Amino acid sequence: MFFALVFPVLIILVFGAIFMGGGTSKITLHAQNLDEGSQGDAFLNALNSTTLFDIVEIPSNESIEQYINNNSLTVAIFIPKNFTFDIGEHLLFNEPGTVDIIIYGDPSKSTYGTVIGAAEAVAEGMNFRLIGKIPIINTVPININPGDDGETQFNYIDFYLPGIVGFTVMTNSLFAMTSTCAEYRQRNYYKLLATTNIKKWEWLVSKFIFYTLLLWLALVLTYFVGRAVFDMQAQLTPIAFVIIAVGAFTFTAMGMLVGIVVKDPEGASAIANAIGFPMMFLSGTFFPLEMMPDYLQIVAGVMPLTYLNNGLRDTMVYFNDGNALINLAIVFIIGIVFFILASKFMSWKEK
Amino acid sequence: MSETVVEVRDLSKYYPPDVKAVDGISFTIGAGQIFSMLGPNGAGKTTTVEILEGLRNPTSGEVMIFGQNILKDYSKLRKRVGILPQNFEPFDLLKPWEAIQYWTQLYDIRITKKEINRALERVGLFERRNIHSKKLSGGEKRKLGIALSLVNNPELLFLDEPTTGLDPKGRRDLWALINEIKEKGTTVFLTTHYLDEAERLADDVSIMHKGKIIAEGSPDNLVEKYGKATIVVLEGAGSSGLQKLKEKGIDAHLDDADERDVLVPVRKHSEMKSMMCTLASSDINMADIYTRRETLEDVFLNLVGSKMEDGVLKE
Repeated sequence: MFFALVFPVLIILVFGAIFMGGGTSKITLHAQNLDEGSQGDAFLNALNSTTLFDIVEIPSNESIEQYINNNSLTVAIFIPKNFTFDIGEHLLFNEPGTVDIIIYGDPSKSTYGTVIGAAEAVAEGMNFRLIGKIPIINTVPININPGDDGETQFNYIDFYLPGIVGFTVMTNSLFAMTSTCAEYRQRNYYKLLATTNIKKWEWLVSKFIFYTLLLWLALVLTYFVGRAVFDMQAQLTPIAFVIIAVGAFTFTAMGMLVGIVVKDPEGASAIANAIGFPMMFLSGTFFPLEMMPDYLQIVAGVMPLTYLNNGLRDTMVYFNDGNALINLAIVFIIGIVFFILASKFMSWKEK
Repeated sequence: MSETVVEVRDLSKYYPPDVKAVDGISFTIGAGQIFSMLGPNGAGKTTTVEILEGLRNPTSGEVMIFGQNILKDYSKLRKRVGILPQNFEPFDLLKPWEAIQYWTQLYDIRITKKEINRALERVGLFERRNIHSKKLSGGEKRKLGIALSLVNNPELLFLDEPTTGLDPKGRRDLWALINEIKEKGTTVFLTTHYLDEAERLADDVSIMHKGKIIAEGSPDNLVEKYGKATIVVLEGAGSSGLQKLKEKGIDAHLDDADERDVLVPVRKHSEMKSMMCTLASSDINMADIYTRRETLEDVFLNLVGSKMEDGVLKE
């Protein structure tokens, strides 16, 4: 029933919102403008006038590479100190060569392509306005893939893997736990358990351990298949295993919480799907969050899967363990809240 | 009088707005007895047994098991009590031997393979120990449930409608098993809506109706106290015999079980002689004639005013 009626409606709503965002979706573009003249500002203003971007200024005292790394940015623009001066020199003395604007970015992300395209268009417009013929301002794309050192080349699959793993963590823990709870109630297993020595929290922890082990296995399998078949370069890191354990904990607790209100496995499946599928699509599992309208990005911000996916990407792809730990902490706090609520409201007894 | 294992005083369970599932019942169960709570569906049997199992909280009243108030602390009793819930279904993908092993772990008990086999032999499932539980028959699943309820060697065993839905052979097998459990000294609390089951198994019976206990005692005592007649059975007299009796003004009816035998209730001993004379002059063909006492079924009919079939009252 869910897949026949509710699922298509959810899909059209979610995908419609993502791809038909009414043109209100903007890419957040971090820019560092060290130019002491007016041309740097003019360039950014021109970019801003395209209405494609929300431009966020990077403080001039920061190293842009460090800033990109610290904030796990997928794209950023850099305007050098003597940008206006160099343009003037070229105009006055007809010096050969170009004045470069550097666009740091991750080629696997669609936003990077959008920024390059827009920046090139703006540069071309400024060139035309400045002298009308020889291009002076040039955009220089720099790949910020940490592994792209000439030896390692990241592909889309490397960025897709953490999403797949995050999605697997959610589906296994949330979907399975919700239907397990409903089945246990319907078949009187809770009553059976209540008659033994096992404590409720022991049972909850046993489920969490089971799903953690299962999902670690899934991570390792997915990783090695990705390496073998797609020559994937993302790395398995210890923090990835910790994030998966915490994710299993959070979504198991969430499944238990949902399982409290459902009466039968069919209802459990419908509710888990209704929660899980939108979360899957709105948490950056398959599409970058930047592609989504602002209001959906806000929705994504309250979904634990967003932080799980981000944490996994931070550690496996960007090797930014600091950010990964922040995302891990957010997932863990959400999990603690779910666990406390599930422990409090789940009852094996009848009223 | 044997040691009291269960003592229930003025137990009630009400649900809003005005449902009295259990309405001020009291009873005691002696050690080593089979105590049967008998009644139709909705009488309040399962609510009562689940309160005694610590699975529901009562609205009021007191329950003492082994001298301990269960409302204060049930955890100390867990190891002394075994429970087979109503409509028990084992975990589908566990084999019987795995289920026994798993269950003992939930009681913090270590068990050897030999002990597992012995537990399965006890309930007649040894040959089926390696079959997934979902492939067991209904009777076998209940046997496995009983095996699980016995893993902690309980002194008190609660069986909530253990034979409901089973075929006659399955029921007889379970009756034998329950008797065997009793013989080993375990006290059994059995809820059922089968009158013959209570009559065959129970030392003491409480008949429950609309949340109240309307009669209690041993099956013999109940028949003696609430039975109204001796039954004269005209074996094989059939409907033609019944017709002839009715023409003579004798109150008789066909036995529901086979509709071959004619049953003539004789309510006073003094009526017996005249009734036999009437019979002799009626020229009824029959295979045999004998008397039997009333059963719990008759007692139930006398008390409630309806017959009970599969837990449902028939008007």
